[in-house]
Amino acid sequence: MSSGLAIETQNLTKTFKSRDSEVRNSLFSRNKREVVTAVDHLNLEIRRGELFGLLGPNGAGKTTLVKILCTLFPPDEGRAFVNGFDVARQQMDVRRSIGALFSVGERGAFWRLSGYRNLEFFSAIYNVPRSKRHERIIKVLDLVGLKDKAFDRYQRYSGGMKRRLAFARVLLPDTPILLLDEPTVGLDVKSSRTLREFIRNDLSRKAGKTVLYTTHYVEEASQICDRIGILNRGRLVACDTPESIRGIVKKGEVVEIRVKSILEAQVEALRTIEGVVDVVSELQDSVVGQWRLRLHIENIGSLPLVLDFLLREKIRLIDLKREEPTLEDAFVELTGTGLEK
Amino acid sequence: MWQEIEKVYYFIKRDMTSFSTYKTNMALMVLGALFGAISYAYLGDNATMQSVLQLYHISFKDYLIIGVAFSTYIGQALTLVQATATPWQLEEVLVSPTSLGTFIIGSSAWGFIWSTIVVVIYLAVGSLAFGVVLSINLVGTALVLALGISTLVGFSMIGAGILIVVKQGDPVTWLMGILTSVFGNVLFPPQVMPYPLRVISFFVPQYYFFTCIRLMMTGQAVQAILPDLLILALMCAIIMPLGYIVYSTCLKKARKNGTLSWF
Repeated sequence: MSSGLAIETQNLTKTFKSRDSEVRNSLFSRNKREVVTAVDHLNLEIRRGELFGLLGPNGAGKTTLVKILCTLFPPDEGRAFVNGFDVARQQMDVRRSIGALFSVGERGAFWRLSGYRNLEFFSAIYNVPRSKRHERIIKVLDLVGLKDKAFDRYQRYSGGMKRRLAFARVLLPDTPILLLDEPTVGLDVKSSRTLREFIRNDLSRKAGKTVLYTTHYVEEASQICDRIGILNRGRLVACDTPESIRGIVKKGEVVEIRVKSILEAQVEALRTIEGVVDVVSELQDSVVGQWRLRLHIENIGSLPLVLDFLLREKIRLIDLKREEPTLEDAFVELTGTGLEK
Repeated sequence: MWQEIEKVYYFIKRDMTSFSTYKTNMALMVLGALFGAISYAYLGDNATMQSVLQLYHISFKDYLIIGVAFSTYIGQALTLVQATATPWQLEEVLVSPTSLGTFIIGSSAWGFIWSTIVVVIYLAVGSLAFGVVLSINLVGTALVLALGISTLVGFSMIGAGILIVVKQGDPVTWLMGILTSVFGNVLFPPQVMPYPLRVISFFVPQYYFFTCIRLMMTGQAVQAILPDLLILALMCAIIMPLGYIVYSTCLKKARKNGTLSWF
């Protein structure tokens, strides 16, 4: 592993045997198991100090990858290195190098203790020196905006406060690498933005930490990450800067059309027009029946065919504009699946 | 009216379907009721009181209070590792630079401190308010406690390992709980049971634990319990390492299958 890399995976593979249904798992039936490949021969390199976003739909393998990197799941094939340590052979060294936040990280806290006492316990198990514990706890509580609520019981915290305390716990040991699995889940818009800015400005830019940031949200990743990897069915289908990934779809054109009243069958028919790669439809105003159609077409020459179709079908055109492809367009093209905004 | 009845039917169907997926737990609950009936039947039998007097030369009241007091340790030891198997907390600790051994000992320490307080309360109230006669052999008591608790912690590790894999209804802890109540010499001496049942108690560590601890609490010398103490030590030497192996193996399996946080 190169010394310039904080995280590296080489042909990393992880499969699970899963029960195929609730019915088969019931009392009088036998479990049938199927093999699911969560991470499929993944090769990934994340440089030291980099803020790397991992995007992917549900079941893409993002959480599995994070859990392999933090030594919770052993890989079936291939190798993974974190801070130069092998996740399968040097587990304690890996754990000393990372702070890991899971998408349900707030459940790991102790509900009858205060935020401070929770962090006091975790600072001990994360080997924070005894003489620095109090100072460190107060510092991270201040960073996540919970200093004033330090001695309130955890069970009285709101969902957002619980999430912030989980994040404070990750920051406690001051490790060089942070693995953040959907850190903004459950946060309101303002808290989410504050947290993203904190990750970008304080953790990445000022403190120089390496951050692996998994998310469903395209805009989140494009706003703060240096590079983005798109994971689909356990495979890395793209890995580059947000700008370069957007460029993947620049070989085509994106046109946004607003129309009044269009049927689902007509949207389907639009997709069959020569040169139309994909159509995403969205009802914008249900009272007046206004729809927004986002068409990904091979070239601008396909547009007259689209307009002919609208005329023929007597669909009233309200507005039409050409657009720059977004990261979501790239994602759709790469995976054939939409993401949450 | 029928619509409301149909709704109730779907409530029952929902809960029954969910409950039936926890097969082990369901079987354990049914068998638990059966064994509960057996132990309470013997507890209320006159022959039990006579047998206590013959075997231990103490009153049935003293026998019961000492037994019930120290059974708090047994309950604690049997469930302590399961208590640490809470999936989210297990994940949080397993990604920290803390060893599994420290995790288990740390998670259980308070439980034992609290059990000690409870035992002291039981014995103090028994002695001061109800005239329970105590003459404690401290060294012998400490020795019996160490061996007995270590053995049951071994079973607890086996149970916790199974719990991590099957997710609900740990048969080992259940079995040991049943064995404690029926064959463990807590509420009645196994000698009052028919011979085929009595033999089972010879394979149950709790039997030796409670036999030894009662004698140590009533002023007997360690020599008086040496044969039983040696059997308990042998059981401890087998069960403790076995428990650790089973727990580690099951934890490894859950990590491999990605089911550590599934409950």
